Parts: sequence; structure tokens; C-alpha cells
Amino acid sequence: MKRAEVIYTFARYEIKRAIARKKVLALVAFTILLSVLPYYALSQAGTTLVPTIVYPYLWVFAILLVGPLFLNFTAILIAAGSMSEEYEQGTAELLLSKPVRRSDYIAGKFLGGYVLFLFILALTLVLSISSAFTFFGVQDNLYLSPGLFIAQAFSSLLFFSLAFMLGELIRRSSLAYIFSSAVFFSSYIISVFLSAIFGATGKVVYKTVQMYLPTSAASSLPIQYALPRLPPTVSTALTFISTSTLRPTISFSIELLLVYIIVTVTIAAAYFLHADISRKLS
Amino acid sequence: MKDYGSNRRIGPANLTISKGEIVGFLGPNGSGKTTCIRLILGLIRPTSGTVKVNGFDPITNHVEALRHVAYSPELPNIQTFLSPRELLNLISHELYFPDNANRSSEIDQVIELVGLHDYADTKAGKLSKGMIQRLSVAQALVGSPETLILDEPMIGLDPAGVVHFRDVFRDFAANGKGTVFMSSHIMSEVESLCTSVAMIHHGKILFKGSVDEVVGKVLDYSLVELETSPLTPQTIQQLKEISGITQINVVNSGKGDAVAIEITVVEPDRDIRPEIADIVVKSGAKLYTIKHGENMLEKAYIEALKETKGGKP
Repeated sequence: MKRAEVIYTFARYEIKRAIARKKVLALVAFTILLSVLPYYALSQAGTTLVPTIVYPYLWVFAILLVGPLFLNFTAILIAAGSMSEEYEQGTAELLLSKPVRRSDYIAGKFLGGYVLFLFILALTLVLSISSAFTFFGVQDNLYLSPGLFIAQAFSSLLFFSLAFMLGELIRRSSLAYIFSSAVFFSSYIISVFLSAIFGATGKVVYKTVQMYLPTSAASSLPIQYALPRLPPTVSTALTFISTSTLRPTISFSIELLLVYIIVTVTIAAAYFLHADISRKLS
Repeated sequence: MKDYGSNRRIGPANLTISKGEIVGFLGPNGSGKTTCIRLILGLIRPTSGTVKVNGFDPITNHVEALRHVAYSPELPNIQTFLSPRELLNLISHELYFPDNANRSSEIDQVIELVGLHDYADTKAGKLSKGMIQRLSVAQALVGSPETLILDEPMIGLDPAGVVHFRDVFRDFAANGKGTVFMSSHIMSEVESLCTSVAMIHHGKILFKGSVDEVVGKVLDYSLVELETSPLTPQTIQQLKEISGITQINVVNSGKGDAVAIEITVVEPDRDIRPEIADIVVKSGAKLYTIKHGENMLEKAYIEALKETKGGKP
């Protein structure tokens, strides 16, 4: 049997497992809520709150404003339990006692979880466009949506890989969620502080440190991609609202994301391939 | 060898198993049975030394080593979101037996064999403990393996299930077709099913051989059990005078006036039942039953543990 088929089988297995855990259903419900409710609320708030010139571009706001928080956190929720839950339930032992390669197992689990994340991301994008259209009329610059999808998918891969690695290393899903979330929120908060200190002091070292934080890398790319392609008014509004104050180059963001992703995936794979398979927690 | 620290080491263990054998793997809790099985399956790495399965290292050549080996874990943790049919299909077809053209009929046969026909499409999460155990054995049987490794396979089964699975495992190993390696704490089960036993304690293999061989190695006596009407002191004295008899215990059998007598014999190779029967009958007492002592494996097991623990079982 070709190894690609085995990996595909494990990916499908992971999707089925995650759906059975009902986590995905909860995430879909949140996605719908976060992609529809803000537009509805804005539409009810009156025209003075949202300038009419921004109406055709409101769909972009959802992905650029929701993305750094909800989508990265969604990536954590999906990935942290991918390996750890199977150890806790003792189901990893059954599959890995079969004549299958560990590398195929972990690759399939990773890909399956990531496909689920891509589904949530696609749903967010589609619902945002639909909601913006429904409440604010025809939307413009929709040609940016594939690029935004790719940029956000790649950006969120950082926290997906990080949570996946922690799930494998810790092998306790609750702890993996807590540690991954702690890294995420700590990075976010530190980033805001460093940005403020840089603004007050002008010392480059604060900005430099901030640029290397995982949340900076994970939230910069979609904005960097979208801003030059949007009308100046919209860009200004986005820059004003966006929590990310960083504007490093796209290549720097991509390189930093790659470093984070490669390091975390390598650690997870190396540990899994070498470590004993845990028995079910009693 | 596997070193868990805190003076807990499993191995080095050397165990040779021939095709067609049904081996009972015995040992107290924490003796290393499951660790040995997990080493064989490549789920854990030995701290030192090597493990070979079918000539391959189960860690570095996992696929080759385990291609014809199947495992049913203790207290099986089955994917609760899969039905028996889905699980067997995942294992037999999707993961490593893709070319089996008759996989559907094979899955149906295995489901039928383990008695899960009525639950084939029920999610495992809704199955009872006994049904989960049956499913665990089913997932091991599917794909025509040559070796079955079973960790406490009879736990949770009803008596009819135990009898049925005994036949299933016997049939699996019949005529040298396959090999069964099962750990168990149920001595009577091992004694009635297994062609040989291996005892492990503190991570070391104490004995390996047929049930009789292992009992003979550990115990220097055998037992004869009989049920009779009450015997006179003279008859009991006559029995004690038979060569090899060292002890006679008489207890109430609970069946009318019959008494149960347990006779300890220090010449285990000699069958002295005819001599005993002769004396009892000639004394005028009624002889209801006479047989070799049962549960000798259990007695040998406890005796072996006493010896290794300095007299404490």
C-alpha cells in the first residue's frame, strides 16, 4: 500500500474523530456567530458608525480582525487534542500496534486536523462575505479572498503546529490546551506592551523583540497582503482598528512563520518517533 | 531489557515460542507481562538489548515485524465513534490489507465468529464491556494474522463467551496454523486452554514449558481428590501406608454423608489412584469420585511466587 494512502486514511480518521468529539460542531457554531452577528449589529447601529465608502470592503474586516484571535485560537483547539486525546483514551495503542509507520500516523493526524481548520477558515470567509453582502450590499475586491485565505491558513499554521507539538509532548489534552493558550495570550499581551513601550521610548529593541513574537508572525501576513490592495480609506481604517502594529516585510513574516512551523513540527515528530507510546491514563 | 527506574526492571527475558503453540503468559500484577507485550509490539523501546519479531526490530522495522502479528489489548480502548464494521474495515482494508478482495466477506465472517452480528453497525461507545472485548479480539483476528497476542482476552466475557473464545483460539492454533500468546490471571483458563505456559516475575521468566512440566518443576507433589462415604480410622491408616502418600485431609463435601478427601503424593509421576480405590472399596465405604487434583497450575503459581518472595505469596 502506498504510504500516501495510509496517511490519507489517518487524515480521514482524524477528521472523523474530531467531528465525533463535537468540538468541530462547537467551532462551526462560533464561526457562524462571529461571522454574522457583528455585521448585523453594525447594520442596526446606523450609518454614522460605518462610513458608506467602507461598505463594499466590510467583508475584509472579518478575516483581518477576527483572524488573529478567533482563527488562531481555533487552530489551537483543534491541534492540541489531536495526539493527546488519543493517548488519554488509549486508542493510539490499538492503531500503533498494527503494522503501520509512526511517521504515517503523525502525518495523517496533522493533516487531518489542519484540513478541519481550513474548513473553519473557509466557512469564516464565506460567511463574512455573505453577511457583508446581506447587510451592506455588493462587496468589492473579492478577488483578494483566495489570497487572504492562503495568507491566513499559513499564518494560523504557526499556532496549529505549536499546539500540536505541545499535545504530543505533554500528552494531556487539558494541559496542552492551557499551555498553548498561555503562549498565545501571553505573546499577544506582551506584544501590546512592547508596542506601547516602543511608541513611548522609540527604542528599536522593543519593536525588534515584538516582531519575533509568535502572535506577531501569525497576525501580520494577511494584513500585509491585503492593505496595499485596498483603497487608502479602508487601509487607514484597518490600520487604526487592527491590534497588530507591526509592518515588517512579507518575506520576513513568511520566514519567521516557516521557522516557527518547522521547529515545532520537527520537535513533535522527533519526540513521537522516539518516545514510548503512553498507555491510557487510569 | 526495560528499565523504569526505582529498581523496576523488566528483563532480560528470553522466550522461544513455536508455531501452533497456545502460550499462557502468567505473572502477578507488575511482573512485566504487559511490558513484554508492548516491547514485542514496538510500542515501547527497550532500555538495553534488542527485541526481534519475525527477525525484525519492531521499532525500526515496525511494518515488517508486525505484518502477521495481531494484538488485543487488556481492557481494550476502542475508538468509540466507530462501529465494529468501521473499525475492522479501517484496520483490515484501509491501513494494511488493501489487496484483500474478499475483505467484506472476511469482516462479516469475523463479526459472526465473535458474536457481534447484531451489533455490527452500532457505535462502539454504545457496546457493553463484554461486546468491546469481543470487538477487541475481532480486530485482532481480521486480516488472517499468524500470531495473536492477547492481553487478558477473557476479561468481561460471559461464561458462554469464554467457552466460545476458547474454541476460537484453539481453532486458530490448530494444526500449527497460528500461534497464540496470551497473558491471563485466570489459571483455570490457562490450564484448560494453553499448550504451554511461561511464568514471569520481577521481569524475569521463571519457567516455560507444558502445564505438567511447569507444575512438576515447581511442585514436588501431586494431589488425588476423592469423594467417599466416611472412612474409618483404620482405612485412613491403610491409605497412609501407601508408598508416596504424605498427607490426607478429610473435609465435609457438603453432599449428604459424603466426605471430600485430598491426598498429597510426593511421587507425582506415579498414578496411585487404583491402589487408593482398591482400599476404599474393600473397606466397605462408597467411592463416589476419584481424580487427580485440579488447579495444580494455580498451586504451582502461588508456590513459585512464595519461593521468589521468600515465602510470601
